Amino acid sequence: MKKLHFLEVEGNSLGYYAFLGLFSLIALIGILAAYYMEHNGHWVTGMSNQVIWGTPHVFAIFLIVAASGALNVASISSVFAKTAYKPLARLSGILAISLLSGGLVVLLLDLGRPDRLIVAMTQFNFVSIFTWNIFLYTGFMAIVGIYLWTMMDRPYNNLTKKAGLGAFIWRLILTTGTGSIFGFLISREAYDSALFAPMFVIMSFSFGLAFFILVLMGSYKYTHRALGDYMVNRLKNLLGVFVAAVLYFVLVYHVTNLYSADHRGVTLFVLADGGIYTFLFWVVQIVLGSLLPLALLYGPTGKNRTMIGLAAVLVIIGGMAQLYVIIVGGQAYPMHLFPGMEVSSSFYDGVVASYSPSLPEVLLGFGGFGVTLLLVTLAVAALKFLPDSLEDAIADPHGK
Amino acid sequence: MTSNINNEKQAEITSAETDSSRRNFVFGSIAAAGVTIAPGVMLYQTANARSLSDFSLKEGASSKVRWGMLVDTTKQVDWNKCVEACNKEHGLNNETHSRDDQKTQYIRVVDVKNKGTGHSMSLPVMCQHCESAPCVDVCPTGASMKRDDGIVLVDRHRCIGCRYCMMACPYKARSFVHEVLSDQKENTPRGKGCVESCNMCVNRIDNGLEPACVEASNEAIIFGDLNDPESKIAKLLKEFGGKQIRADLKLNPGVYYKGI
Amino acid sequence: MRLHLNLLSLAIVSLVLLTSMSSVVASQDSLGPKITIQQTSGEKCILPPEEMRRQHPDLLKHDRIATLREGVRAKADGGKLDGSLKQCVNCHAIKDDSNKYVRIDNDQHFCVSCHKYAAVSIDCFQCHRDIPEGGGDFHTLSNHKGINYNAVVPGTYNLTVQDMANIVPEGYSDDK
Ligand code: SF4
Ligand code: SF4
Repeated sequence: MKKLHFLEVEGNSLGYYAFLGLFSLIALIGILAAYYMEHNGHWVTGMSNQVIWGTPHVFAIFLIVAASGALNVASISSVFAKTAYKPLARLSGILAISLLSGGLVVLLLDLGRPDRLIVAMTQFNFVSIFTWNIFLYTGFMAIVGIYLWTMMDRPYNNLTKKAGLGAFIWRLILTTGTGSIFGFLISREAYDSALFAPMFVIMSFSFGLAFFILVLMGSYKYTHRALGDYMVNRLKNLLGVFVAAVLYFVLVYHVTNLYSADHRGVTLFVLADGGIYTFLFWVVQIVLGSLLPLALLYGPTGKNRTMIGLAAVLVIIGGMAQLYVIIVGGQAYPMHLFPGMEVSSSFYDGVVASYSPSLPEVLLGFGGFGVTLLLVTLAVAALKFLPDSLEDAIADPHGK
Repeated sequence: MTSNINNEKQAEITSAETDSSRRNFVFGSIAAAGVTIAPGVMLYQTANARSLSDFSLKEGASSKVRWGMLVDTTKQVDWNKCVEACNKEHGLNNETHSRDDQKTQYIRVVDVKNKGTGHSMSLPVMCQHCESAPCVDVCPTGASMKRDDGIVLVDRHRCIGCRYCMMACPYKARSFVHEVLSDQKENTPRGKGCVESCNMCVNRIDNGLEPACVEASNEAIIFGDLNDPESKIAKLLKEFGGKQIRADLKLNPGVYYKGI
Repeated sequence: MRLHLNLLSLAIVSLVLLTSMSSVVASQDSLGPKITIQQTSGEKCILPPEEMRRQHPDLLKHDRIATLREGVRAKADGGKLDGSLKQCVNCHAIKDDSNKYVRIDNDQHFCVSCHKYAAVSIDCFQCHRDIPEGGGDFHTLSNHKGINYNAVVPGTYNLTVQDMANIVPEGYSDDK
């Protein structure tokens, strides 16, 4: 077996600068969009007093959820001692940090008063799940940072397992915390469910791995490094398992909700007569985002890199649709002030709220992806995150 | 309001206030001019108004008091008058850019219809000033807060505009300010990027007046101290009962309704 | 790559140094332009000007917590709280040539004039009213406490005689 060797990506090349430029541009446009929103106030967005959290939150929560999932590969290697994943543990760590940063930037820039960040960081209400999340996020960065350090600094290698375990536990709590932001909202039919937190954990596995596969394949392709089938196959099979698991959870979630009188209304809304939300659920989330990727991954196309990449992209799109249905759809469905009665008012009681994403919101959301990719691009050139080759002879521990 | 202790306390406050007001005339010649134009307008309180509250201006909100309201939906009143009074008091409805679904409403008139019986009614809904207020629990910075006397309000000095409280409120009582505002009322500061909701006219209550909607309601809304068994609201609740909206959520709102 | 990063940081550091130096040079000429604070209508503030200049942020901050969060509306001796932005505005409001109060977007506004000079941004007036209520001209006619909503006809509120009667305490006479 050949020896594993980590090497920085060559930063002084046209291709590298092109990527750097592209990602910076996306991030910059996102930040400008946020400035536009803040300067004018949120009236320039589609958000309102009815749909309170909109597109930026869909993006931000996707990125945050994916962040914890991206750490999966590293966890599998150090916590579950699967040496096959060891070469990818570093990338997994830095991707997790980058995704979280991207998500937080979006969340922060959408605040009504982003200039008061200092208030958010100094005045805490410890009853609030949001407050816990602030600590979970900063703690996650720190722990994954330490974890990366133990992996990359030889004298500390012996601590990797411990740090890895810490990071693993932390990220489970983190995703549970993110899910709980919704799960604890008793006021809204769509969210009042204990299944939310575990569902978010499963979703994170799937979204994070899809993103990871794309970054891995992309970076190896454009740096002309060898990436053998052994590694790709393992990852794509794992992705398939996660996608199926999410699908199963979504099924359980909706079926239990159909049987509970309190939640039947909103479930029927999503499944049957929610217009755009029903469409997003069935067509984008279920067919495009779950069934099609499963077919691509396990069918005859399963060996084709392009198809694997396509499957990962579809999982991401499906995941965004899923979060859109949960976040926006859950708010669009009217709240019941008087259950069983017909209500109406000047404040849109009893009617399905309308929401259409505005351009700045969408740009801000993509800006989050830009920030993530920019950070990864900078990191892989600055430090030794990526093995210079992952050909089968190196990647397969049982190989030739 | 009926006990001697309270009366004594009020008398003391009233006289202290009056003294200090006189002393504070040095605050400015605007004030002094005011006296000559309209005698006494700078003095703070009428004896009548003061007797409404039995807590001290110096000690602040007291947990002995729980302010509440009782809305009698069986009375034939134009609830829009309450909305109007609220908007006036707090300078609301002055947005120029916001869409209708983005404009602030502290209080709204909700029409409820029972599909089975065909019976319908209207009632005003504002922040219900919950005892276990979800909006207070979820706020990351402590900006959404409950005063000791049960009034729930937003400390805009701390609010970062995350809108989590709006997500958490089961009564849709909160609004987000979607644009730059100017020309606010001096007693109701409000501005872009912060969340706001009915504050039970805390500025009026602290000065011994009733909330604006109560005053405009032709006695269809009764305001008072739920903790004081001698108060009108407590007596009415005891005698006729009252229901809270979504009482099943067990948030124990301070706003009761009769006839729902 | 390494080299590039180094060069970049060098450039940034020198830029920062240069800017700070030029501002030092500028301030050596004179201590900057002098500021004229407009004389306002108040006779006497709660503290001498030197102390107010230093302490007004703390006074405001302290009392905003007391007032808003604790519901304290008066001092222990019953007197008015010191840190009332409303009161600051009422005394320090400045009128322009046409006898109208200048608003917060005007450099002559009392708070703005100094804060601009000191380059300290304030966000108080994103929420707080920047001039006395009622455009100022009638503000002494209002006790700032409240109006009588029984008399309100939707859309047409005006200060009524009855409001005035409510405002003026019983038994008040001019020569008190
Ligand atoms: S009604 Fe809504 S805003 Fe008011 S206290 Fe209850 S949860 Fe908070
Ligand atoms: S919007 Fe303001 S008041 Fe509401 S939860 Fe966020 S910080 Fe608290």
